[in-house]
Amino acid sequence: MKKSLTLLFMLIITLALLVACGPKREETTPAKTDEKETETETGAESSEEPAKPETLIVWEDTDKSVALKPAIESFEKEYGIKVEFKELGMADKMRDQLRLDGPSGTGADVVTLPHDQIGQVVTEGLLQEIEVSDEILSTFSESAVTAQKYDGKLYGLPKATETPVFIYNKALMEEAPETMDEVYAFANEFTDGKKFGFLAKWDDFYFAHGVFGGMGGYVFKENDGALDRDDVGLNNEGGIAGAEYIQKWYAEGLFPKGIIGDSGGSAKDGLFNEGKVASVMDGPWAFQGMKDAGIDIGVAAMPTLPNGEHMKTFMGVKGWHVSAFTEHPYWSTKLIEWLTNEENAKIRFELTQEIPPVTTLIEDPIIADNEGAKAVALQSQYAIPMPNIPEMAEVWGPAASALQTLATGKAEPKAAMDDAVKTIKTNIETNHPQ
Amino acid sequence: MNSNVTTKHRKNAGLLSIIPGFGQFYNKQFVKGIIFLVLTVAFFSSFSQTLNWGFWGLITLGEIPKLDHSIFLLIDGIIALLVAIIGLGIYAFNIYDAYHNGKKRDEGFLLNSVREQYHNLLDNGFPYLMISPGFLLLIFVVIFPIIFVILLSFTNYDLYHSPPAKLVDWVGIQNYIDIFKLDLWRSTFFGVLGWTIVWTFGATTLQVVIGVFLAVVINQKDLKGKAFFRTILILPWAVPAFVSILIFSGMFNESFGVINTQILSMLGIDAIPWMTEELWTRFALILIQSWLGFPFIFAMTTGVLQSIPNELYEAANVDGASIFQKFRGITLPMVLYATAPILITQYTFNFNNFNVIFLFNGGGPALPGQNAGGSDILISWIYQLTMTSGQYGKAAAITMLLSLIVITVALWQFKRTNSFKEEDMM
Repeated sequence: MKKSLTLLFMLIITLALLVACGPKREETTPAKTDEKETETETGAESSEEPAKPETLIVWEDTDKSVALKPAIESFEKEYGIKVEFKELGMADKMRDQLRLDGPSGTGADVVTLPHDQIGQVVTEGLLQEIEVSDEILSTFSESAVTAQKYDGKLYGLPKATETPVFIYNKALMEEAPETMDEVYAFANEFTDGKKFGFLAKWDDFYFAHGVFGGMGGYVFKENDGALDRDDVGLNNEGGIAGAEYIQKWYAEGLFPKGIIGDSGGSAKDGLFNEGKVASVMDGPWAFQGMKDAGIDIGVAAMPTLPNGEHMKTFMGVKGWHVSAFTEHPYWSTKLIEWLTNEENAKIRFELTQEIPPVTTLIEDPIIADNEGAKAVALQSQYAIPMPNIPEMAEVWGPAASALQTLATGKAEPKAAMDDAVKTIKTNIETNHPQ
Repeated sequence: MNSNVTTKHRKNAGLLSIIPGFGQFYNKQFVKGIIFLVLTVAFFSSFSQTLNWGFWGLITLGEIPKLDHSIFLLIDGIIALLVAIIGLGIYAFNIYDAYHNGKKRDEGFLLNSVREQYHNLLDNGFPYLMISPGFLLLIFVVIFPIIFVILLSFTNYDLYHSPPAKLVDWVGIQNYIDIFKLDLWRSTFFGVLGWTIVWTFGATTLQVVIGVFLAVVINQKDLKGKAFFRTILILPWAVPAFVSILIFSGMFNESFGVINTQILSMLGIDAIPWMTEELWTRFALILIQSWLGFPFIFAMTTGVLQSIPNELYEAANVDGASIFQKFRGITLPMVLYATAPILITQYTFNFNNFNVIFLFNGGGPALPGQNAGGSDILISWIYQLTMTSGQYGKAAAITMLLSLIVITVALWQFKRTNSFKEEDMM
């Protein structure tokens, strides 16, 4: 009796609560919409006659703010807008923080992200499209600008590019070979199980793509600048040729089994730094560690494949982007134009060794005389930007699995690539409904 | 109910306290009534906005994309829900109190005076007062995230329904249906589940056996330098696990790791494909987890061993029991009796032991024609499946299913163990 009474009262009060929020809902929503409208109105006004904000906030990659400081100082002088910055890991911290801080209004106005995240981040609505004159866009290399576009719209300006290159130990290899056939011949002679002529993480699709792409395979078919997610070309004729070529290096013992898998990268780096490897395929981020280990390195673009083609390595483009939550899109865009102009790009290269895709700088002695930077710039001409559509997330795992089974000899090239493409397509259909 | 009761104070008081405090006024307990009334007013004046906004958000999850952030609304909604439940609890207490005192009046008892009520509150309410800060903390630190995951598993939160660009919607049990319907999830599920179970029982049992065995050995009376040996054996526990795992991952490297190049080659054994053959990776993982996990069991068992009364062994000696009989008849039951709950948590811990799987070989080696690696357990497989493509709703649903498995097993085990029965062991 007592219990049922209490229960009844609780029910009544709950219902009362739920009913109570009915009418209020109508009051709160229109009030909020008004806010939004006024916001967009002021936004529209500001693009014609923008009021200067007092401060803009920039999130920069970790340890890279040395190059940001001089640029924002000159920006402050030029426009009288104070710029504050904070360092955040670019690979994932930046995105996670923007997800949380953006909507609550405490986020940055300008952020920096690797371009392969653009598709995902734009889908989530964290970045806004920017309008930049063609004159400014033409100062960057074309592929770097393409990398900043998603769905045909521009979402940022490129800050730096990187792509894997051929790095060799000058004590063991006199000069960089022109072709992979030469590398193969050299490796066959040099490799004895303790020393290795050439090593590459070809069980990692990021590096393996150079071979696939050069042989004629592709991840997503490109049609007029848009990527077709339904056309996966990793198991076409070229893709299988690439897989066969990759398997050859492992099967003949030129690549040891110890560099396969997630922990294989550190094994490979360790061997090179001990002076047991004549040459490797690696990105510009590896230069410093090798020099620190006391290796006299030479750097060149990747040698050409047996079919005479250049390796189509994956290019990563770091860019500056305007947050969707900023109240000052006009000035944020101005700021990223400033940060990526020739002068500041040059400063960035000098201080952080990040290679800016500014065409005039690539011929500038500062880059042309730097062996590493020159090699990266050269290889970038043959490189293609990593696909930046969200569907790319479904490619890495299955592609790496296929490559690993090839490397360990558990699968034949055609079967492995067919399997990978099948999984990729299923995953795309499952996780990315159109 | 008492049949000789004629008055109906209990009903009247109970009904009147629908408006908090009035029941108490009816019972002529004015101070208490005022406190209830003030509490109610304060509750509504400070929380009405939270409740309104929260419940609206919880039900609709937002109506205008880019303006309403569904996930923040969900969080506001859960807070509103918790606040409402606390409020309802106080409200229920108010009714109960009025009813209870009304009943007292019906039965002809005198009600407590204000002073008596105060003393009563201090005497009986003190423990509750003491635990209330901790309990409130518990609600927001433990219960809140659990509710969040439960609710999330009923939404379509994924990359394409991500705030602020899009709204998240309630989809009922669609995620749970999808998990069983989609080939991608189903085809590999049972293989992974099988290994997860083998892993859980293999790794945990081994670490328990090693831990108990070593503790018993070190605890022998005649052994000199106990402190030294105990310190050594605790060491694996002292090093952060992820550091050890990464070092092991280097040691097990097929071409360059010390295990293949030094230890095994010294014994004349050919290099073993630790990282590229599924079976060997699994074997290595179980060994590593035993190494990482035994010190805890060892330390715990050592503690228990020292509390076993010596008389038991003396009596056994008189009866002429062998060492093995003493171990089976006295030591083992005593140890298991005392540590059973913790042993169960060890099993549940390993069932979801993401670190060692992920750091050792990233769930690899890859297997042809499968989307899970050879050493992937459920939790690491789900991490890959859902986090690479932002399937948060589905991830939450699978988390719920996993929790269900773990909770069921744990509850069943807890119920079976002697430790949770009231009667004494001895």
